[in-house]
Amino acid sequence: MKGSIIKYERDNIDTDVILPGPYLKIHDYAELAKHAMEGLDKDFHKRVKPGDFIVAGKNFGCGSSREHAPIALSYSGVKAVLALSFARIFYRNAVDGAFLLPIEIDESAYHDISDGDSLEVDISKNEIKNLTKNKVYKMKPFPELIGKIIEAGGLFNYKP
Amino acid sequence: MSKTLFEKIWDSHIVVDEDGRSLLYVDRHLIHEVTSPQAFDGLRLNARKVRRPDLTFATMDHNVPTSDRSLPILDQTSSVQIKALERNCKEFGITLFDIHSPNQGIVHVIGPELGITLPGTTIVCGDSHTSTHGAFGSLAFGIGTSDVEHVLATQCIMMEKPKTFEIKIQGKRKNPHAVTAKDIIMSIIRKIGTAGGTGTVIEYRGDTISELTMEQRMTICNMSIEAGARAGLIAPDEKTYQYLKGRKYTPNNYDELVNDWRDNLKTDSGAKFDKSFTLSAENIAPQVSWGTNPAMTDDVTGSIPFPDEYGKGNPEEVKGATKALQYMDLKPGTPIVNIVIDRVFIGSCTNARLGDLIEASKVVQGKKVSSKVRAMVVPGSQLVKKNAEEMGLDKIFKDAGFEWRESGCSMCLGMNPDILAAGERCASTSNRNFEGRQGSGGRTHLVSPVMAAAAAINGHFVDVRELDLN
Repeated sequence: MKGSIIKYERDNIDTDVILPGPYLKIHDYAELAKHAMEGLDKDFHKRVKPGDFIVAGKNFGCGSSREHAPIALSYSGVKAVLALSFARIFYRNAVDGAFLLPIEIDESAYHDISDGDSLEVDISKNEIKNLTKNKVYKMKPFPELIGKIIEAGGLFNYKP
Repeated sequence: MSKTLFEKIWDSHIVVDEDGRSLLYVDRHLIHEVTSPQAFDGLRLNARKVRRPDLTFATMDHNVPTSDRSLPILDQTSSVQIKALERNCKEFGITLFDIHSPNQGIVHVIGPELGITLPGTTIVCGDSHTSTHGAFGSLAFGIGTSDVEHVLATQCIMMEKPKTFEIKIQGKRKNPHAVTAKDIIMSIIRKIGTAGGTGTVIEYRGDTISELTMEQRMTICNMSIEAGARAGLIAPDEKTYQYLKGRKYTPNNYDELVNDWRDNLKTDSGAKFDKSFTLSAENIAPQVSWGTNPAMTDDVTGSIPFPDEYGKGNPEEVKGATKALQYMDLKPGTPIVNIVIDRVFIGSCTNARLGDLIEASKVVQGKKVSSKVRAMVVPGSQLVKKNAEEMGLDKIFKDAGFEWRESGCSMCLGMNPDILAAGERCASTSNRNFEGRQGSGGRTHLVSPVMAAAAAINGHFVDVRELDLN
């Protein structure tokens, strides 16, 4: 999985800025995607390209349980969020609906990766290659169950 | 073996436990108009039924107008969501408390109020503040829409077992009318941080918790999610059993159940928690949030912090505080009592129950809202509204210049017409001060109901310990 980076050097990016409340009334996912990250970055929908990754700090996705947040990111083209840590409901929603991969990275990778860098993520090796900087980082492996749900393509496809 | 309350409830609900996962039975599923429509669409698409419509209860709260309900809903997109819930409940045989029902209200207010919430049960709802129900010793999780669909179809939820976190609050508050449950939970979040409870179920314990009313305990458990916890719990006691007695959905064999709960629903002495935190209630002051997450909070007697001091050498924290102050348009060093406000919102699943309104009304009685402030009270449910009106609280608020509204989530999350304009500053009894939460560009200060009421009268924050609230 290859993509380029949109980086927000911020902790606690909450689901209200990822997808503001007024848009929770929208049912068309393509329409929802136009408002992704609007609370933080009004230009996000112009910048984001299919296959992009978001890099952010601690506690990404805190707050509301709205699944509209990972859906909006997913339908805007985001394939993975690489963050220092995730709030649990966001993490779960992202995986259950197979919307995007929530990948935990360490401080050194977080500081090293720059906006616009080109990255290749290999979850079978738990490895992230920075193609721009020619470096390799480790990602935190998914817990066993999460890995299986991701592999199955979401909660409804997962068969124990 | 000694067990915590959480472990007892968890263990008694396991359907399957293998392969690093537990499938838990769900006793009660609460749904609302915003996070359920796609779940019902999913059921239809796969020709599935709702497994236990009798254990599923619905209301409409997030986007409903709080103005005159005899009028049509002007916002077409809200109207579509509301009609979809009506259609879905009818098709799948689910009890719905609709916009005209005397039982309508915020889902986390009506659950306990109707006796749907019970000790020792598991509850889920597509809303993060489901943690509220933990005040009754119910293990209650906020979930997303995929999980809502899964629970509708199977009445089960798949989870990895959370860790346990004991938060002990001890000692007497010096002035319990001025230093409220809201101030206790905000003090806790301020100290443990917005991710302090991540991956854990918090059990709140200690003599301070025992002294709180059920409504106050709900305020504490409600904001567990603001510390990142999966759930908050308080062991049930006589107050819990008294509160639930004789409610609309309280089971017929209630006394028998209570006997069982008395024996079992507590953490055994000697049970171990994964993590522990202790707080003394004696010196807690009324709290006011100044930033853009609930941990960015200080005593009302404090000042807006300098980002360098707040961050204590952590560059990310310094950056976060700097950005928060820019958004909030606040200067470091400004005394909190000097912050002038434009709006006041008394409402939300955190603080819109009868006790909250009674306390706030004491501050308001015989006074007038500042001419520069627009203030509103949005009762948590139709029942809260009715009870408050029977006590004459509506008159106290209206005479002072407050708007007295119909029940719903309202300005807590800005999905209906009750929103802040860009740049407006609000003293709010809700739970989140995130950027844009109450309206794009709006600025939120989280406070207790008495602090919000006093701010409405004075036009700025005041230390309510200086008022006579008895």
